[in-house]
Amino acid sequence: MSSELLSVRDVSKQFLGLLAVDSISLSVRPREIVSIIGPNGAGKTTLFNLLTGQLAPSAGEVRLRGEQINALAPHARAQLGMGRTFQIAKPLIALTALENVMIGAFMRHPALSLARDKAMAVLEKVGLAGVARRRAGDLTLSERRRLEVARALATEPEIMLLDEVMAGLNQSEVGQAIELLQGLHAEGLTFLIIEHNLKVVRAFSERVVVLDRGQLIAEGTADQILSSPAVIKAYLGEGHQ
Amino acid sequence: MNKTEQFSRPGASPQAALTAAQTGIESGRRALLHYLGAMALVFLPCVLLIDDAHWLNIIAVTYLMGGLAAAWNIIGGFAGQFSLGHGVFFGIGAYVCAKLYLVFGFSPWATMVPAALFAALVAVLISWPTFRLRGPFFAIATLAFNEVAFVIANHFDSITGGPRGLQIPFKAGFSNMIFRERWQYALLMFGFAALVIGVSVVLRRSRLGYYLLAVREDEDSARASGINVLAVKLKGMALSAALTSLGGTLFAMYLRYIDPPTLFTLQDVGVKFALLSLIGGIGTIGGPMLGAALIIPFENFLRAELANALPGLNLAILGLLMVLAALFMKRGVAGAWADLMRRFSRNAGSGR
Repeated sequence: MSSELLSVRDVSKQFLGLLAVDSISLSVRPREIVSIIGPNGAGKTTLFNLLTGQLAPSAGEVRLRGEQINALAPHARAQLGMGRTFQIAKPLIALTALENVMIGAFMRHPALSLARDKAMAVLEKVGLAGVARRRAGDLTLSERRRLEVARALATEPEIMLLDEVMAGLNQSEVGQAIELLQGLHAEGLTFLIIEHNLKVVRAFSERVVVLDRGQLIAEGTADQILSSPAVIKAYLGEGHQ
Repeated sequence: MNKTEQFSRPGASPQAALTAAQTGIESGRRALLHYLGAMALVFLPCVLLIDDAHWLNIIAVTYLMGGLAAAWNIIGGFAGQFSLGHGVFFGIGAYVCAKLYLVFGFSPWATMVPAALFAALVAVLISWPTFRLRGPFFAIATLAFNEVAFVIANHFDSITGGPRGLQIPFKAGFSNMIFRERWQYALLMFGFAALVIGVSVVLRRSRLGYYLLAVREDEDSARASGINVLAVKLKGMALSAALTSLGGTLFAMYLRYIDPPTLFTLQDVGVKFALLSLIGGIGTIGGPMLGAALIIPFENFLRAELANALPGLNLAILGLLMVLAALFMKRGVAGAWADLMRRFSRNAGSGR
């Protein structure tokens, strides 16, 4: 029990007639990297929203370090060490990259000067120090994705939930992003990621869970999962090699 | 309100490792100097050189409306919560201080702060349910509160004088906040505007200020950053309402006559604060003051020159101007200026 950082037990989410998440149980241990894969509409982002508190579960429970947190608001979960990014990166386009990251840094550092120094350090870590003064609206897609990670990192989380942070990046950018995440993992960060890019899943996950139509259909190491016929059928469709 | 925690002073970091040039964030003291200095540079020659009651009145009203628009801008601009009900807080500042002065002879200087705190409390109470609404629905709900305030003020005539209003007799004296000379009022209104701009500068560089911006841009993203969105909106609204109430007190003591139509007519009060901010540059520090400096004198000119020729023509021209501004200067004059400077500096940079 105590070895679980974040877990859900028999959690479900019903939207009117649709059971988006159907009685899923899943746990993430400290310093682990878990990937969630599955076709569009499988319930991956809904599960994320249940974990981060954007949505309340219809049934089941969400636990953080063994404590039930079903009723906890998203901002309170962030304060307890859950950082997240969104599928569609939403930077504050009118502010500079530095100021965007300061929004995250203020949570643990209320004074402007400390938040600014913290934000600058995070920007350096993710390789955005050079564009600190540029408006977020003027950044490239790849830089915006990094900025999103930086804002979450600035809250000094214990676990990061990344929702398709690689989407839309080219191959070399994906390589750099994996390198960045591996560095953060080496520093002790735990990851739960939603990822469509199977190369990323293979390179970066210790454990993979597969969702399909709201249900957890498979769980295992990346190699086991990516060679399982059932997963290939659900994920890539019939007739795929 | 414990503002000391929220309004942390910049530049106080022991190592001060980062310079303003690296971060693009001006030091707090410099920012204050910059904005208040610019305001004083415009104000001083105006008041020293102009000795005409008509123009001094326009100057006084311009600074008062600029300060009020800047107060509205805290919640309407920084936090993006488009309130059209700020007449409520304006009315509270006016009625509370005027009534206490008339009945007990209390100095408005002494009652304006408690009145502002009361306005902040009312703001929190009426915002709590309405902040569940987003965008136009929030604006409409606040509009309704303004109309309710109008009806209440009309109805409880033992307190507000009802439709007859409250008349404050002319008895000049500093403690009465009633002055013989117009320039003294102009100075008073300038002081008010400077206070609101000063608060805006400090707020914009504080955690609460950044949180207001984060809430405006994306509430989900703000929550993921550990921001209690409702609490931040309520704090912004309370501060904005308190400053608006101070402006209401000054307005009452300047006009020395208040009644429901002068305090709650939307196009002159609640909507006006928003419009001045929109024209000048919503969400910027100096924009609302700039909007007042452009619109208030122009409005007076139009009223004087055109209202007799064709009633309503002055309002039609003003309306047209606002439509054009909404179409072609979405971020107001301040935004257009910033874009121009950015383009200029980028060209200068690439020319090297």
